Amino acid sequence: MPERVDRDGTPAYRFLGVEVTRREAAFLVLGVVFLFVIPDIASLSDSLQLSVIHQGLLFGFVAVGLNLLLRHTKLTSFGHAAFFGTGAYATAVLARYAGVQSVGLLLLGAIAAATVMAAIIGVLSLRHTGLYFALLTLAFGQLLYAIALGQSALGGSDGLPIRPGPANQPLLFGTAFSPDVYQVLTYYLTVVVILIGLFVMYRITQSPFRNALDAIGQERTRARFIGLPVRRYVWAAFVISGIYGGVAGGLYAVVRQYVRPEGTLFFLRSGDILFMAILGGFRTLVGPLIGGVVLVFLQDVGQDITQYYEFLTGVVLLILVYGFPRGIVGSLRSGGIVNARLSELRREPSVLSTWGRTAAQSIERKVTAALTSLRIILFGVD
Amino acid sequence: MLEARNLRKSFGELVATDDITLEFGKEEGELVFIVGPNGAGKTTFINLLTGFLSPDEGSIVLDGDDITGMSANGRVDAGIARSFQVVKVFEEMTVRENLRTVVLTEQGKTWSLFSMADGHEEVESQVEELVEKFRLEDAADTVAEELPHGDRKLLDVAMSFGLDPDYLLLDEPTSGVSTREKEYVIETIVEVGRAEGVTTVTIEHDMDIVTEYADRVVALHQGTVHGVGPPTMLETDDELRRLLLGVGDDE
Amino acid sequence: MAVTPTAALVQTLNGIQFGFILFMIASGLTVILGILDVLNLAHGELFSLGAYTAIGVFGFIIGIIGPPGDGVVGTAVFILAVLAAVLVTAAILLPVGTLFEAVFLRQIYDRDQVYQLVLTFTLLLILLDVKKFIWGDSSIRTDAVYSAINAIPTSELVGLNYPTYNVFVILVGSAVVAGLFWFFERTKTGRIIRATAIDREMATAIGVSTDRVFTLVFALGAFLAGFAGAMAVPPTSATLEMGTNPLVLSFVVIVIGGLGSLRGAFVGALLVGVIRSWMITLYPPGEIAAPFAIMALILLVKPEGLFGTWGETA
Repeated sequence: MPERVDRDGTPAYRFLGVEVTRREAAFLVLGVVFLFVIPDIASLSDSLQLSVIHQGLLFGFVAVGLNLLLRHTKLTSFGHAAFFGTGAYATAVLARYAGVQSVGLLLLGAIAAATVMAAIIGVLSLRHTGLYFALLTLAFGQLLYAIALGQSALGGSDGLPIRPGPANQPLLFGTAFSPDVYQVLTYYLTVVVILIGLFVMYRITQSPFRNALDAIGQERTRARFIGLPVRRYVWAAFVISGIYGGVAGGLYAVVRQYVRPEGTLFFLRSGDILFMAILGGFRTLVGPLIGGVVLVFLQDVGQDITQYYEFLTGVVLLILVYGFPRGIVGSLRSGGIVNARLSELRREPSVLSTWGRTAAQSIERKVTAALTSLRIILFGVD
Repeated sequence: MLEARNLRKSFGELVATDDITLEFGKEEGELVFIVGPNGAGKTTFINLLTGFLSPDEGSIVLDGDDITGMSANGRVDAGIARSFQVVKVFEEMTVRENLRTVVLTEQGKTWSLFSMADGHEEVESQVEELVEKFRLEDAADTVAEELPHGDRKLLDVAMSFGLDPDYLLLDEPTSGVSTREKEYVIETIVEVGRAEGVTTVTIEHDMDIVTEYADRVVALHQGTVHGVGPPTMLETDDELRRLLLGVGDDE
Repeated sequence: MAVTPTAALVQTLNGIQFGFILFMIASGLTVILGILDVLNLAHGELFSLGAYTAIGVFGFIIGIIGPPGDGVVGTAVFILAVLAAVLVTAAILLPVGTLFEAVFLRQIYDRDQVYQLVLTFTLLLILLDVKKFIWGDSSIRTDAVYSAINAIPTSELVGLNYPTYNVFVILVGSAVVAGLFWFFERTKTGRIIRATAIDREMATAIGVSTDRVFTLVFALGAFLAGFAGAMAVPPTSATLEMGTNPLVLSFVVIVIGGLGSLRGAFVGALLVGVIRSWMITLYPPGEIAAPFAIMALILLVKPEGLFGTWGETA
């Protein structure tokens, strides 16, 4: 049962190692309830599709895993789609070629495959840090994409359908359901997996292991000289983070009943995943998940209104990098910039034009400076 | 006993340490100070002992075992800790979290994924002990990057002691510290070191400090051992005095 | 399958040809990485932008001078025109690189590294759609340059049937390599850039404007990528996704050659080009994996790459 503790004067509750204040508990309950009623909400509205939210949650879950590296070891993986894709393809291959029908077994297969993949890519990529690490993860991820594209057994660019049973779909609890019910049931399965995954991640980020990762991220040399075998720790974190990708990928394959290289392994997906973490706020636990839902939703809407939705994504990214680097959750929590700006806007709507003018001026200054540089490059100093 | 046997290390043309043979900790808990002009190879020597660099020739022996090929973190486990000339602490952690991380590592608890970092009693009590010993109580919950310089140095040293070392190698623990705080930092080191029987090897430029606290002084010059002896050597050895005064103070 | 010496020679030449293109892309990427400490994910898009732009420029210039005239003079004029078109294309890329570095990238050098990765990724996304907006979804191509240059006899003279255009690429590529090494070894600007790579603070201390060096280096990278795009496009067609593979292969080249090393990039690019090309005849499925296998081997055996770090030597 929850136990009452005191956190800096505010009463808090501790249960299974999770410590929350009353306010946080309310948000938590609200969030969980919300996740569970989404199918009902989606059935009421045309613009909100369950499959879109579901996909957003799955990619967001990969971002939660990626965030273990990003937040603590300060390593930027640009190849997390590799683990998502590995999980998805492992599921598809098991279902199609090994005749595995149970969702549970398929997911275990996905986890196993992603673990092995993360272990191998980790050993090779973690020989470097910083941008070099990003470069290596991207390269290995893209190698997997190229392999999936080139292997006819994996279906090439057409991908691979999952057809284990006569009903074209994997079995949940040994039973085949009608497609609609299957959709909703797998969604609930995802929700349960995500809640467990978040809980596990929360516990990891409260553990001594996290201290080790933080130490490595903040001062790598010193970390070695307090006795940490740095590469082994980072490797472990990399594998854990890859497992999150594998689970999500396995679920994705189970839900979609189809995997394609473009949607699972392509490096733009890796970029999306990283983007989700930052959009939601990579200094928070649930930020990446929320970032996932928001991004997939935006891209879905974007695809409906324009064929240039990559451009749209790019613009959102720009606003994010320069305006709200802490992301959605981070900005809301710190309250700072968003609230300040919003209240200013409410008080005096004309500040919008002032902001616009300042932005325009600063861009103009930058462009002038750039043109000067360009002139110097082309014609030398006069 | 920690021994350096014929250590040689060069960077391209530059020979940083040239055939250095020294031993530390013959008497447990001795305070050794390394002096020498800039470029004498002092930091390189410490880097070699701690595994930050590996020597071109020669070997390092700890209690009879050759540890020349041992990894840096392995040497920490074996009881050799160090600090750096430029403070290296975990900048985004508070003082207490810094120390906790060190003690958790020292006690081999960092592979625990599901216990609470602050829930290990024996770790917490040791952390509090360190906070007290190094008089960091007021700063305990301050994030490292916001600490005043003197406290950062203290934290750095406290972290090294937190590793429970037998040998502690300190690279200019008083550099950049004001004269008043200098005494304080060095006194704390001496006090804690003596109390716990830690053999400390300290690089120091301030000859007053060396004279006052050293059990033994090692003078390096151009990568070789110029002399080893009691602190009075600084007074009696005229050549050494000239070397140290000539270029010693312009850092 | 028996491989005749002729076939082996042809494949090797193909590999070298591709290697030179790859070098032009990877060299810019590696110099930007070495000096700005920026991994430009949009570098493949700059290459692709060069390819698209070149098709227009080729069309324009050939429209003016017409097909190659008879005799040596006519051929020479045509080749010069093609070279001019390639240079014009690359020059068009200069302002793109300059503006991006000076307006966007410069503001976030002191922030977490992840932001600059996101930023260059943003440029990648935006360029993707800019291309789609201007040139549409389907691939475009120009035959005029490829067929006209192939009509010039070269390899036939030594009894080998090999496209003259590829020989042209190898020759121009060699000139670019020589030019780059000359630039970094001999010119004042080149030395300043190298000095900045070795020690940024020292360079600032002796009065080098690192801002300007950064912009220059990024612009140079864009120029080279555009140049590569223009050289690469005549035998094939420009497609929206053509930037990805060269980008990733450039990564492989950089890892093999060593961070920021121009020499390493050269050796790495030729190695990747030739091995890839051999694989096409020897063992086709290995074409994709072979460069990565070399990269993995390098990572395990010599993580710093074949040629240490940049700056000390070009």
